[in-house]
Amino acid sequence: MAKGEEKTLGIDANWPGKVVLLMGIEAIARGALEAGVGVATAYPGTPSSELVDRLSKVAKKFNMYVEWSVNEKVALEIAGAASLSGIRAISAMKQNGLSVALDFLSGLAYTGIKKGLVLMVGDDAGALSSSNEQDSRHIARMLDLPLLEPATYQEAKDMAKWAFELSERFSTVCILRSTTRILHGRGNVTLGELPETTYHPRFDTSQICAPPMGRASKSHAALHKKLEEIRRFHEASPFNAYVGPENPELLLITSGTGWLYTAEALKTLAAEKRAGILKLGTTWPLPHNLVSKYLIQADKILFVEEVDAFLEAAVRDLAADLVPGRVWRFFGKSTGHISPFGELNPNIVIGAIANLLDMTYRPRKSAYQKECDRIASLYVPSRDLQFCAGCPHRAMYWSLKDALRLDGRDGVVTGDIGCYSMGQSPAGYSQMKTAHGMGSGVGVASGLGKLKQFGFSQPVLTVCGDSTFFHASLPALVNSAHNESDFILILLDNSGTAMTGFQPHPGIDRNAIGDSAPKVDAVELCKALGIPVTIVDPYEVKQTRDEFLRILKKDKGPKVVICKRECVLIRATGKGALFKVKVNPEKCLGEQCGCNRYCTRVFGCPGIRWDRDTKKAEIDEAVCSGCGVCAHVCPQSAIDREALS
Amino acid sequence: MELTGCKELETKVIQENLCTFCGACTGMCPYFIAYKGRVILRDTCNISQGRCHNFCPRLSVDFNDVHRAIFGTSYRWDSLGNVLEVSIARSSDNAIRSKGQYGGVVTALISFALKEGFIDSAILTCPEHDGLPEGTLATTKKEVLLHARSSYIAAPTIGAFNSAAQSGKKERMGVVGTPCQILALAHMRVAPSDMQNNVKKLGLTIGLFCTWALSSEEFIGFLREKVSLSEIKKVDIPPPPANVFEIYTTSGRISVPLDEIRRFIRPACTYCTDMTAEFADISIGAAEGIEGWNTVLVRSEKGAELLNKAKRKKILEIHTMPAQNLAHLQEASLLKKKRGLKNIIQKTGNADDLLYLKADTKTVKEFLNG
Repeated sequence: MAKGEEKTLGIDANWPGKVVLLMGIEAIARGALEAGVGVATAYPGTPSSELVDRLSKVAKKFNMYVEWSVNEKVALEIAGAASLSGIRAISAMKQNGLSVALDFLSGLAYTGIKKGLVLMVGDDAGALSSSNEQDSRHIARMLDLPLLEPATYQEAKDMAKWAFELSERFSTVCILRSTTRILHGRGNVTLGELPETTYHPRFDTSQICAPPMGRASKSHAALHKKLEEIRRFHEASPFNAYVGPENPELLLITSGTGWLYTAEALKTLAAEKRAGILKLGTTWPLPHNLVSKYLIQADKILFVEEVDAFLEAAVRDLAADLVPGRVWRFFGKSTGHISPFGELNPNIVIGAIANLLDMTYRPRKSAYQKECDRIASLYVPSRDLQFCAGCPHRAMYWSLKDALRLDGRDGVVTGDIGCYSMGQSPAGYSQMKTAHGMGSGVGVASGLGKLKQFGFSQPVLTVCGDSTFFHASLPALVNSAHNESDFILILLDNSGTAMTGFQPHPGIDRNAIGDSAPKVDAVELCKALGIPVTIVDPYEVKQTRDEFLRILKKDKGPKVVICKRECVLIRATGKGALFKVKVNPEKCLGEQCGCNRYCTRVFGCPGIRWDRDTKKAEIDEAVCSGCGVCAHVCPQSAIDREALS
Repeated sequence: MELTGCKELETKVIQENLCTFCGACTGMCPYFIAYKGRVILRDTCNISQGRCHNFCPRLSVDFNDVHRAIFGTSYRWDSLGNVLEVSIARSSDNAIRSKGQYGGVVTALISFALKEGFIDSAILTCPEHDGLPEGTLATTKKEVLLHARSSYIAAPTIGAFNSAAQSGKKERMGVVGTPCQILALAHMRVAPSDMQNNVKKLGLTIGLFCTWALSSEEFIGFLREKVSLSEIKKVDIPPPPANVFEIYTTSGRISVPLDEIRRFIRPACTYCTDMTAEFADISIGAAEGIEGWNTVLVRSEKGAELLNKAKRKKILEIHTMPAQNLAHLQEASLLKKKRGLKNIIQKTGNADDLLYLKADTKTVKEFLNG
């Protein structure tokens, strides 16, 4: 390394042997760089968004192509195209995104790939930022694909690099699956070499890259053969290890975060001599010989793994024919010794091990815990999920709520995934009634809008964000245009993929690496579909309500209302407040009949707080973003706003 | 679970089709709003019994209490209620007569009351956007003349009174309203005294005779099919036996059989017992069989004072009502009262449960059998 060459110790640091602190997902990005990756794609989704984010920042330096794709399926298709043309590629997504990409992935499993192709899946165990808990490992089993699970930050990097080699060796997509605590935690990572990579891509037109027509089952058979080869390869993988005594009282079989929790648990209980840990990194196909070797040494087995009982089921399958007549006692998620839902933590694992080893373990005295909870509640009152102060979604839901009450026909609002999903809670006045997959709000609305012939008489509306619009709402909208479904699509254009960190999408005029890019105009798109479009500013709550009311009267076919107002967090980074907002205490009615804390109790913007002593509302200047909407909401005109330049 | 005041109104009055759309619960707060013929609970308020709850005459009203508050005596189940003087009258002003309904007495009296400082403003009802009537504030004769006609459509007029009263700009307001609207104002007088009460700003009530009112949006839709709304000059239901609804337009008169209109009658009107606005200072209607004249019932001292002054200043021509006409009026009023009570009892299925009417059921039974 030349002196002064490195300014940072980021994922691009050309300093082999240096130990740096990296997030797990950054370690994976580094591993990809060490593998000479050429193309990286993703649609953002927690906990997978940082891979493309970090790689986009070094894309020019490494001559990479990095993009935020319109959705996960397209992301994998872009990466797949690179691989088929001889360039190593990686695509990242969360568990829900994998469902979107599944169609292409299942085809790719049959056709195979050319250069290393790694599919990184971040599973949100505990569904902290997701609409579901879903264990992506089942997909590897379903599609006969190899699956790797890193257990440490170092392993995240090393395994990522190794995944490309595995992928190329067996000409198959390799799934690298991890969970939030690895991906978003930080740990020491020893850096490896960064290769000089020059690609000479070419798509080999002498070969057909498609499942053979009418004979796809032959590809299926070939895939099974390949999987057996990978299984043998996995037997010697450096990512699998056993730590513990011979013939342990209790065998712990783990992967991913389970390894760290289990190691900590044995140390905490001082039970290292009684129990042993078989830590697996290659979790599909399962290395049968390796697992069998340790299985036969123990009678009691506890599985410690994140989300589902995946290893547990696979090992039970293996054990069924292993030693005729031998009975093991398996414990884990299927027996309830480990909770079959929610995220793991050290206490859960320590408790399960202590139970099986007949030890007593009490993380905290219950009286102590109660006192902790009591003290916490004094200073940190429990609070519902809430939109940010000044969020245009709150203003939109306010207008929508009013419009639907005035309309009086019990209008149904469907929705999907985004910040605006909070429309199902009091934050959005409980207006949004359905949320399933990305874009599903439009699809479900399209369906509801066709039920008139059965006597369905409620107006139908749906909300979707600007990024979600392109992601998966468009096909449903095209469907509704063709089938003349009666509903209103409220497109919440806040100028970015706000929930996951403002990644650009096709409606934004810049791309993943920050260069200017053509902007796809949602208005023109809708117009081309023959759908009438109006644009409103959600901060103008009365006009927005009246526009909803006006369009609610129109009957035939889909209609689009675009609520255009950039996310207040984007605004906050550069432009500042629109208004200086103040409460006039002389006019504020407070709890009296005629108001009854309308702003703080009903409207609910966290920028306004209730002063218990003066019994008046007041603006919390530290929180208020100056949108000025509350001035329209106050029934007494007690909230003054002064426009700021 | 006990319902908070607003939820109780929503479930027991609005959802039970008892709401007359008088507007008494509106114009005071952001929660109840009047919109296109319906009172809408926009958001939930958790005050257990606020003004909406206390003012609404269709949640609970005791005619005795209200009558005592206004006239100092208990309510008598008779034909016309408290009456000091019965007469027929018409405006002396041709311009008013041509614009007003029948003899134009309401328009003349309100204009006079404004001029004389009897009141500082008047809440009237006028067709607003989409032909739907709304309450409106008038302070001059010119403004009063603009709204000088009947609409027969239920309107949230008391909401306009509430918001004008709360604005603090008017201190003595006159209100022209249907019996349900006048009852709502009267009912405000018996609300708990610690309540901020708009009725303190009420200076005069002129009640209009009413058999029923029409549901606004549905009826406007029906009207639109017949005529362009902007061409309507006046509508009228002439006294029996005409049995028609007449629409006077710029290009002539359209008569619609009354039976075609009846389906638009507001369901809440079936449970009303008051034809002659018994809690007003003065009640005014058509004088049956005497074209171009109004019937005038003076009920309170205040009403008498205004009428006498108007008579002295020759604002009105006033005559004694012929006995036969009075008998007809009493008969019609009794008929509505009994029909209303019977409909109430039919709805509850129990002669001792009169829905919103808190009354001595023994007296009511005697009245019905009398």
